[in-house]
Amino acid sequence: MAAILTEALTKTYPGHGPAWRRSAEIRALHDLSIEVHQGEIFGFLGPNGAGKSTTIRLLLGFLHASSGSGRVLDLDIGRQSEDIRRRCGYLPGGIALYDTMTGHEQLRYLSELDGQESLLRGELIERMELSERDLRRQVRDYSRGMRQKIGIIQAFQHDPELAILDEPTEGLDPLMQRSFYELLDERKRAGRTIFLSSHILSEVERICDRVAIVRKGELVALSDIAELLRRHRRRVEIRLDGRVPRLEGVPGVSAVSVTDDILTCQLEGDPTPLVAALQGYELQDLLIEPARLEEAFMEYYAEDTSR
Amino acid sequence: MNGPLFRHTFRSNAIKLLLVGAGLALMGVIMPVMFAAFGKEVGAFVQSVPLLDQLSDFGEADFFTLSGSVAAGFTHPFTLLLLGIIAVAFPALAIAGERDKGTLEVTLSRPISRNGLLLTLFLAGLIFIGILVAVLMVSSIITTYAVGLGHELQLANTVQLWLVAWLLFAAFMSLTFAVSVGSDRAAPAFGIPATIILLSYLVWAIASIWPDVRWLGEYTVFHLVKAQETLDDGPATADVLILLGLSVVFMGIALYRFPRRDLPAPS
Repeated sequence: MAAILTEALTKTYPGHGPAWRRSAEIRALHDLSIEVHQGEIFGFLGPNGAGKSTTIRLLLGFLHASSGSGRVLDLDIGRQSEDIRRRCGYLPGGIALYDTMTGHEQLRYLSELDGQESLLRGELIERMELSERDLRRQVRDYSRGMRQKIGIIQAFQHDPELAILDEPTEGLDPLMQRSFYELLDERKRAGRTIFLSSHILSEVERICDRVAIVRKGELVALSDIAELLRRHRRRVEIRLDGRVPRLEGVPGVSAVSVTDDILTCQLEGDPTPLVAALQGYELQDLLIEPARLEEAFMEYYAEDTSR
Repeated sequence: MNGPLFRHTFRSNAIKLLLVGAGLALMGVIMPVMFAAFGKEVGAFVQSVPLLDQLSDFGEADFFTLSGSVAAGFTHPFTLLLLGIIAVAFPALAIAGERDKGTLEVTLSRPISRNGLLLTLFLAGLIFIGILVAVLMVSSIITTYAVGLGHELQLANTVQLWLVAWLLFAAFMSLTFAVSVGSDRAAPAFGIPATIILLSYLVWAIASIWPDVRWLGEYTVFHLVKAQETLDDGPATADVLILLGLSVVFMGIALYRFPRRDLPAPS
């Protein structure tokens, strides 16, 4: 059973205004088909307005799909959204809390609404380094980071089977981010599934097993991180000491150019054919830039802007 | 009905309820005391001046009778203002206001249906209004007895006036819920019903003192209260049913619209 399964999920908002000057309809999400496996950390990437929040809101029943279908924990997103929310934890982007409640009251109230025991609350409070004094203060006095900590605790306190997190590390300092990543690893080891949207690509690269990239409401990539990075073109710089190797036609190598004694090219996929082609040549240095998710991500967007 | 949400709604509105309750209790004291202190003398004077006599018909109640002065306490602008805080501001803030702030999203991410949330808030609002109108009524009755006029009051009819006033403000609350569920901002969710109620009140008040347009007042919802008539003779069944019907219709609209609408991310 997939934790999340969508098939051609589409959300379109009708245009506004009177008939004679009605704005065009907005296609927020188009034909999204993804499968998130149980027990994985799945990253959902895309710039602002790409359709990340729309997808999350469709999964949780805040929005109604225009067409297509979706299942979360084998429950239909259109008809069983209450049951879905019973089994999920959700951290909205820029979470809003009740300002007049204390941290304790807030967590207790949300837990009561969940109707489930807060098995992990104490442990999470400790991990997020919130003191008893902090939790007795009204939320209106909290910094952004502290609000985010409360948001993380409320999403995980009932040990949900699936956590859906929208920009989860927003406002957290680097130490707390590390602590949060450890929390995700632990939940993953406990067999829980994490679905997170993020702008921070280094974060996604570090913690996610697989990613989906959306652009203008459409899925442009769905892959595990290693595969995505392997497919990404990396820059290669070879400092020569003698003959210039002929790299044209080597699998995965492109854009070869030689200036003085420096050969540069781009490498896509497995580096073995390139290394084999360099056998017998004298080299001073060989630099293959490590593949980064950020560059892979930008590549998908560069493809779009070049169209 | 959701218990935790119900308790939270009571806790978060407790101060508002206390303040409004205190205001209404004061209102319940003022009207019978004024009647006992000056009613008959001022009434005789006012009736001798035709223009003042006409103006004294304000609100379809004769201020210079005990039942009229008590009845006027239920339809006085000050009462409308105080009960409006609960009947209009509460549903506007509880749905559209929370949506505006982003807290509705946190609540609705829990296993609670939208109509479950709406009905819980509606029930809480009905209890708020019921308590507050009861405060006004009890305060009026106690004061009437305190000034030695208790024997002139028909207690059974005061309970019926409580019922009619409760239904009136429940209808206002239902109207506001119907607007609030479709709005992403607190201002229109509050402003639209408040404007409708205020215009209705103005038409009713003007019609009550201006004989040429008196017929207009019959088309306003305030006319259905007939506070003094209710205190003297009991309520008209048809009026009670219409007030009840308004609540049913507006809440029906709210319950139909809320689960069907999209809730995009708060901006």
